[in-house]
Amino acid sequence: MSQKNDPLISRRSFLARAAGGAAVALTAGPIGLLLGRAESGEPAVPAQDSRIVRVARPYDAETRVHEFLSWLTPNDRFFVRSHFGPPPPDQIDKAAWRLTLSGLVDHPLTLTFDDLSKFEEVSVTSVVQCSGNGRAFHRPQAPGVQWERGAVGNARWTGIRLRDLLRRAGLKPNARHLQLQGADRPVAATVPLFVRSLPIEKALHPDTILAYQMNGAPLPLLHGAPLRLITPGWMADSCVKWLTDLTVQAEEAQGYYMQTAYRYPIRPVRPGEVIAPQDLKPVEAMIVKSLIAQPQQGATLPSGNVMVQGVAWTGEGRIMKVEVSTDEGRTWEPARLVGDDVPYAWRQWQFLWQTRGSGLRTIHCRATDDRGQVQPMTSPWNPGGFLWNGADRVRVRIKEA
Amino acid sequence: MNDRRARLYSGHLFVLILAALWLAFLTTGRAQEQTTRQTADQQTQRLLAARCAVCHSTDLIQQQRLPRDRWEATVKKMVHWGAQLDATEEAMLVAYLATYFHPEAGPVVAPPAAPRSGEEPGAAPNQPGVPARGAALYKHNCLPCHGEAGRGGMGPKLARNPILSQEDRFRATVRQGRGAMPPWGDVLRPQEIVDIRAWLTTIPD
Ligand code: HEC
Ligand code: HEC
Repeated sequence: MSQKNDPLISRRSFLARAAGGAAVALTAGPIGLLLGRAESGEPAVPAQDSRIVRVARPYDAETRVHEFLSWLTPNDRFFVRSHFGPPPPDQIDKAAWRLTLSGLVDHPLTLTFDDLSKFEEVSVTSVVQCSGNGRAFHRPQAPGVQWERGAVGNARWTGIRLRDLLRRAGLKPNARHLQLQGADRPVAATVPLFVRSLPIEKALHPDTILAYQMNGAPLPLLHGAPLRLITPGWMADSCVKWLTDLTVQAEEAQGYYMQTAYRYPIRPVRPGEVIAPQDLKPVEAMIVKSLIAQPQQGATLPSGNVMVQGVAWTGEGRIMKVEVSTDEGRTWEPARLVGDDVPYAWRQWQFLWQTRGSGLRTIHCRATDDRGQVQPMTSPWNPGGFLWNGADRVRVRIKEA
Repeated sequence: MNDRRARLYSGHLFVLILAALWLAFLTTGRAQEQTTRQTADQQTQRLLAARCAVCHSTDLIQQQRLPRDRWEATVKKMVHWGAQLDATEEAMLVAYLATYFHPEAGPVVAPPAAPRSGEEPGAAPNQPGVPARGAALYKHNCLPCHGEAGRGGMGPKLARNPILSQEDRFRATVRQGRGAMPPWGDVLRPQEIVDIRAWLTTIPD
């Protein structure tokens, strides 16, 4: 089995198999040290990290899909995407940290962490997914972190409505976009900052929140402490971590991370084709997708009844149907949707598979949402390798009866 | 008849010898080509560790599978963002990346690893360090990680660092590398490391 398709491979064997010597020495460095330490003095990355590390520094790691048997993804197993890594702890220390809101507003604001408690507290359970999740499956391969299946998770986020803050400041009539920036900084000043923006409609959406808690715990350092944006239904490139600066503007944010990266073609494109800038628009809403959490890739199973389980989600809509195929996609049978149907969260599903015969089998799953979007077998190629939502597949071996 | 046979025989022998010589020539040629390539690869791997691991670890690079033109564009982008490469180094790096990390390369491509630099004979230079030379060397090799005037960045602060007063430890650390710092033993000459230290000690508080 190839390493690229086996998300369960351990970090150590990955390193052992990857280019040796220098590469190993470089990637196996003291990650906790480089990432800075959380307030408690604990290393930011736990010594026992069960995630699959894609990039050691700045830290990018995905969740092993069997974790998705749990509806909520635990904080220390939740995927991490860092552009530059966490800022130095003193800058995001709750006493020193400030959030500013300026630009096209009547009353610019500067808030301390304690000031946040003056706003109504709200919670939303939402999927957060990296736009590059599944990039490794695009052919030809697109440059970027080669995420496979686990750059996604479902968590309960608690904080305040972004809308309440914007209303407190008062928007000027020409306010169209909200620019977001965090306290994280690149190693070299020549690298563009991670500056993003959100159309004002999404910023004013009642479910868009500034979160300071994740699954009931203070937001962990790797997930953006002390405050990050959560845009339910949208890809995580909007969910800026270590948030410090909000600027209301008439235009989209400038710079590499808004104008070049995280863009998707509005028409089908061929690999290598030159795409005019006006034919690329920012990645925003998630699209329909599902994953098989069990059985695991490469598992050997007794013949008879096999419980296939997983999760399915879509952007700002609902999951209507999940189907499973055990014959390479020729025929599909409906799975049972289980658990609660909560907006923005993922839906769990189960399928009881009665195996026939023995040997290698492939299980596929695909979801359909309330807009009639169905997962394709493979997603359209695009230069950034974004929005992969090809039917999920797992290879297993059925033992002889 | 015997004569003819002998002639034929010696003719065969001649051809055989020629063939053997040719084969020997070919194999040494190929072996030489191979060692040249191995040496070039090792040089490029050191380059990768020294110039590319500044902002991100090299695993981000090794997991890509890109055609040459995409590698060219990617390395250009990195240089634009601050990677310290001259034109020759850039060309070397692109050639290496396009050879080992191309779309048809399997999931595991393990080019021969660069050996860690050990103790070289005569490593201790006898010239005192020259700060002016050290400043230039620092800028090209160390600044991206240790910051302007050694104030620190991704790597620790070097200005006023106690290690500056321990010449041997300084040289050993730099030559062998540590943690996320690549080894410099094969990139810099012993005298150059001494020059960098000399310059670092001139930085006031
Ligand atoms: C000055 C900082 C810096 C240096 C030095 C640097 N990179 Fe990068 N590199 C970046 C940044 C920033 C990204 C984008 C990271 C992100 O968005 O998460 C990146 C991303 C990449 C990627 C992923 C594909 C992409 O386009 O995003 C590759 C491959 C890469 N770099 C290769 C290299 C190589 C090869 C070198 C050495 C010549 C190098 N880098 C040196 C800053 C740097
Ligand atoms: C790719 C980034 C990088 C580059 C380039 C780099 N270093 Fe380092 N350096 C580091 C890191 C990271 C450490 C800390 C290593 C550790 O302790 O794990 C370090 C540690 C050191 C130390 C030990 C400091 C101490 O407090 O013990 C010295 C000395 C040093 N570097 C000198 C240099 C010199 C001289 C150069 C240029 C020739 C250089 N470094 C280039 C990243 C770098």
